[in-house]
Amino acid sequence: MRTPAFWLTGLIGLAALLALPWLVSSEYYINIASQIVIAAILALSLNLLIGFGGMISLGHAAYLGVSAYLVIYLTAHAGFGHLAGALIAIGATTGLAMLFGYLALRASGLGFLMITLALGQILWGVAYRWASLTGGDNGLGGMKRPHPFGLDLMHPTIFYYFVLVFLGLALWCIARFIQSALGQSLQGTRDQPRRMRALGYNVWLIQWMSFVFAGFWGAVAGLLYAYYHQFVSPQALHLTTSAEALLMVIAGGTGTLFGPVVGAALVVILKNVVSAYITRWLILLGVIFVAIVLFMPEGLVPGLTRWVRSLRGRSLKEKKTTVVSAITKDRVL
Amino acid sequence: MTTPVLEVSGLSRFFGGLPAVRDVSMRVPAGERRLLLGPNGAGKTTFFNLIAGDYPPSQGEIRIFGQNVTRKSANQRTHLGMARTYQIITLFPKNTLLHNVVISLVGLRKLRFDPWSDLRRQTSLWDEARATLALVGLDHLAERTVMETSYGERRRLEIAMALAQKPKLLLLDEPLAGLSADERQDVQRLLQSIPRDVTIVMIEHDMDVALAFADVITVMQHGKVVVEGSRADVVADPKTREVYLGH
Repeated sequence: MRTPAFWLTGLIGLAALLALPWLVSSEYYINIASQIVIAAILALSLNLLIGFGGMISLGHAAYLGVSAYLVIYLTAHAGFGHLAGALIAIGATTGLAMLFGYLALRASGLGFLMITLALGQILWGVAYRWASLTGGDNGLGGMKRPHPFGLDLMHPTIFYYFVLVFLGLALWCIARFIQSALGQSLQGTRDQPRRMRALGYNVWLIQWMSFVFAGFWGAVAGLLYAYYHQFVSPQALHLTTSAEALLMVIAGGTGTLFGPVVGAALVVILKNVVSAYITRWLILLGVIFVAIVLFMPEGLVPGLTRWVRSLRGRSLKEKKTTVVSAITKDRVL
Repeated sequence: MTTPVLEVSGLSRFFGGLPAVRDVSMRVPAGERRLLLGPNGAGKTTFFNLIAGDYPPSQGEIRIFGQNVTRKSANQRTHLGMARTYQIITLFPKNTLLHNVVISLVGLRKLRFDPWSDLRRQTSLWDEARATLALVGLDHLAERTVMETSYGERRRLEIAMALAQKPKLLLLDEPLAGLSADERQDVQRLLQSIPRDVTIVMIEHDMDVALAFADVITVMQHGKVVVEGSRADVVADPKTREVYLGH
């Protein structure tokens, strides 16, 4: 049951996201906001696996990178239109998720983590070494942003709203998925896989379907990543990109809808904004993560919710004590 | 001769060099109450896990409703009409009792693959879950989370989740374990109320309860069947005493 406080927070958050281009005057910060939104979509898709499925993946950058490479190659080098390029990139990357899911789900726990890591690194190696196709270390560029419905996506504010629409769609679809029978089954397989099998669920199939769904949203994030940077290099496929997405999910709160969005904001701001002021920003990132793990092991969103609840509970208790002592005093007098 | 609900022949399971179940054969006709007795480590739960499909057998064959299920997965066996409970309670502790039963109901429906429809809006399903909880006397606790319930209530919820699937073969792994005297009576009454068209195979240590419940008793020791027969036969058999008292 959602409380009024939840809806109020949601409304304030939505208003802040919509008003952001007016709140920050600089184009630089609007672009940072676009990066946060794209990272949030990637983190949301990874959270489906980690938070709701209990499958820790270290190869999620594969979908971001492959989708970005495909759309840039198809539109800038193979003569495809933007719509066809986007659809093929998302379709092919989702197909890749089907294959990777089939391979990775042969194991669970650490085995699953290692297979996803290996598959991601294979793709990174291919992108790095197959220079004639991918541009190797120099990456692949030459792409122009599309003009959907006559919108000029080169304008930072318009591009921000464009990616925000995708974030809204991702949140809506993932929220529906989580509340659906399949989403609930996925959470069941995370908590009690043996029991789920005994209840008639095909645990492997549920996990695979969720893996593919997560891959689809990873591909969408990759498409937006390609539109934003108009360039892609092997870095997009690298382990560090997967690890960053993992940190976003853990920092924001696994198994929550908005946790990955907050985590994405934290990591992108630290990486892009704070790094401009502090040379050793990675140390700061490390310190912040240690603090989160120590004080809010469940992540920022559930941790802050817990703090607010305990503060409210304490203030209610104090209020109650004051009223009781006033009544007692009144009676005594 | 009618097809037995459960037929096991020459079933063995080895963990490395250790034989947990050795050459067990069993035939359980429809409607029978079969009891598995034996000291700890006799292989009863492993035998259950083999029937349920948790482990593949090392040797032997399992037939449920006449169908060879030896190579079938646990979930495929459940779809044939088999349900089970666990010796160590295996529930979804953060969810409500109602939600636990709903998850059990969804397991046999096509709805389980639906990624879009809101499960909370499937009212008929929630009504059915509530009715199942009423069957085991837990409807008044339907909205509580499992964490907020007693051990006995959890045991009853385990049974409710199995009954929700309207099984034809029910495997009960120590359904009375760890219960107080009152709780035992409640669960016993519940088990006796299960209609005869449901075949029950049960593991239980409490001899009095078990003997009152069972039609046929199988005594196991060191993974093998030692004695099998009616209550009177098993009680009279000196091997039963040997298994339990060691002389």
